[in-house]
Amino acid sequence: MIAVRNISKQFGAVQALHSVDFTAADGRITGLLGPNGAGKSTTLRIISTVLKPDSGTVMVDNGDVLADSMGARLRLGVLPHASGLYPRLTAIENIRYYGELNGLKGAALVKRINELVALLEMQEFAGRPAKGYSQGQRIKVALARVLVHRPRNVVLDEPTNGLDVMATRALRAIIRRVRDQGHCVLFSSHVMQEVAALCDDIIIIAHGRIVARGTPDEIRQHTGEADLEEAFVKAVGESGVTP
Amino acid sequence: MRKLWIVFRKEVIDNLRDRRTLLTVLVFGPLFGPILYVGMMNVMANKQLANLNQPLKLPVQGALYAPNLVDYLKQHNTDIQPAPHDPEQAVKDGSADVVLVIPKDYAAALLAGKPAVVQLVMDQSKDSAQKNINRARDLLQNYSQEIAALRLLARGVDPRAVAPLAVENLDISTPQSRAVLILGFVPYFFLFAAIIGAFYLAIDVTAGERERGSLEPLLTTAVSRGTLIRGKLAAVTLFSAVSLGLDVIALSWSQGLIPAAKLNIIVNFGWHPALAAFLLTAPFCLLIAALLTVVASFTRSYKEAQTWLSFIFILPMIPVFALIMFPAEPSLWMMLVPALSQDVLVTSVIKGAALSGVFVAISVISTFALGLLLAWLAAWLYRREKVLG
Repeated sequence: MIAVRNISKQFGAVQALHSVDFTAADGRITGLLGPNGAGKSTTLRIISTVLKPDSGTVMVDNGDVLADSMGARLRLGVLPHASGLYPRLTAIENIRYYGELNGLKGAALVKRINELVALLEMQEFAGRPAKGYSQGQRIKVALARVLVHRPRNVVLDEPTNGLDVMATRALRAIIRRVRDQGHCVLFSSHVMQEVAALCDDIIIIAHGRIVARGTPDEIRQHTGEADLEEAFVKAVGESGVTP
Repeated sequence: MRKLWIVFRKEVIDNLRDRRTLLTVLVFGPLFGPILYVGMMNVMANKQLANLNQPLKLPVQGALYAPNLVDYLKQHNTDIQPAPHDPEQAVKDGSADVVLVIPKDYAAALLAGKPAVVQLVMDQSKDSAQKNINRARDLLQNYSQEIAALRLLARGVDPRAVAPLAVENLDISTPQSRAVLILGFVPYFFLFAAIIGAFYLAIDVTAGERERGSLEPLLTTAVSRGTLIRGKLAAVTLFSAVSLGLDVIALSWSQGLIPAAKLNIIVNFGWHPALAAFLLTAPFCLLIAALLTVVASFTRSYKEAQTWLSFIFILPMIPVFALIMFPAEPSLWMMLVPALSQDVLVTSVIKGAALSGVFVAISVISTFALGLLLAWLAAWLYRREKVLG
């Protein structure tokens, strides 16, 4: 479970987040939806401990990320917006590096890597250097890297960016499987359809504030729009803009 | 500690697979110095020998007026050549370095006991002609003194009476210390190898990591940023030290290819001095690794890092060149200046001079301390939020 408690963050003169507060529950996929520049990445970066909030805090499974960032990192698996691989290392070596950094070793690590290679169907390319991977293959390795230490909570920043239809579908299937294992999944997107297709809960963020939250149905009810896209547009307050 | 080792090992393995890094660390860095050095030595040796052993080519005008003088010159390794039509023009256009002109009344003046005038036509501003001008002048001087001695003897006077001073040149330089003149730029090669060994790695682990987008996910793993940067720095330092070590070995081995006897020098760079030179320069590896890493940490891309780091290349060379231009005895303050202290100490090793323990300690400690300070600065840079860009 990830509980974001009233976090604010300022970059220079720009107030990026205003008291953002929400909870992403275990066994559910929570979508953080918002237009570009709304504060999605900043929120996820604060959760994943690479940025510190000016005020407020984040609890990951009841552990405060500010008080114990190392402990929080072990309970988190993070796929940042930019999630590059090491091109000269193979998929297995890329995954092993992250496994080792997160405290795994020996036979347990080998077993876990083999599991992930099978789960994400990477057998075909897992032994090749990452240099020549397709976008779909890269995202699989990056995801395996996120999951290698079996984190209870998974944070994904726009994971489907740049993926083709098949790769996107495969990724969705994996995210659902992770959810079904009881994990907390929090992911961000600026694509409405994406969130609608996948999420159990939606949090809409605009200009650094949360403007709507709930299940897809609740959001439709709340905004009085039957179409989720219209609901989104209304929620972020740019109803004058028609598609 | 275990995490530091994991980071270190990953960076080493990863970069060993990069052909450019490998080529730089294992081939270009270590061999650039020795190849240049052996080549220069051989060219130098051949040039020196050529000048000393070859007969002096001396065009003489009016040779028939002074047959005894001409014979004397011939006996002293001079190749008498027919005089050019216009001696001044010949010197001017470089077809002769120096021309001896003997006037018609030479023999008459000599007989009368008056100073017999002979002319050496030369261009003093021409550097390359200097050696031959001096040789011709010395030969004429010696001939003149011989005749003077004979005249004095004929009058019953001891020729030594007109030589109140006997100046002897006592050259206390040893073949080993003369070697320093030629080996003076060897410490530079060592520093160069240390820098180039660290160069690409320092970029790859910082700006490269950022450009690939692998930095942010790395920062979300359960490793402190301090540990990350220390592991990376250790890998950069290792590559720098490997490049330095190979350079020292290559240079030590290449001593066999130097025509030391021809140059009349003794090159003292066997295994022991080589080891000493390596150990004295090794602290510089940490320093340069940290310096390059700090600078590369400010840059966003591989290309940008390359540009900035090229400037850093020059920085440690400033004291080295200053020492070449303004030679000075080793002193305490020099030991506090990185690059300069290594230069001075390694030069002493090559010279075969005794090393001062205090100097060595100060050089090692000050360079190491500055390296640690920069390493700390690198860690601090990585703790800032701006590191994400």
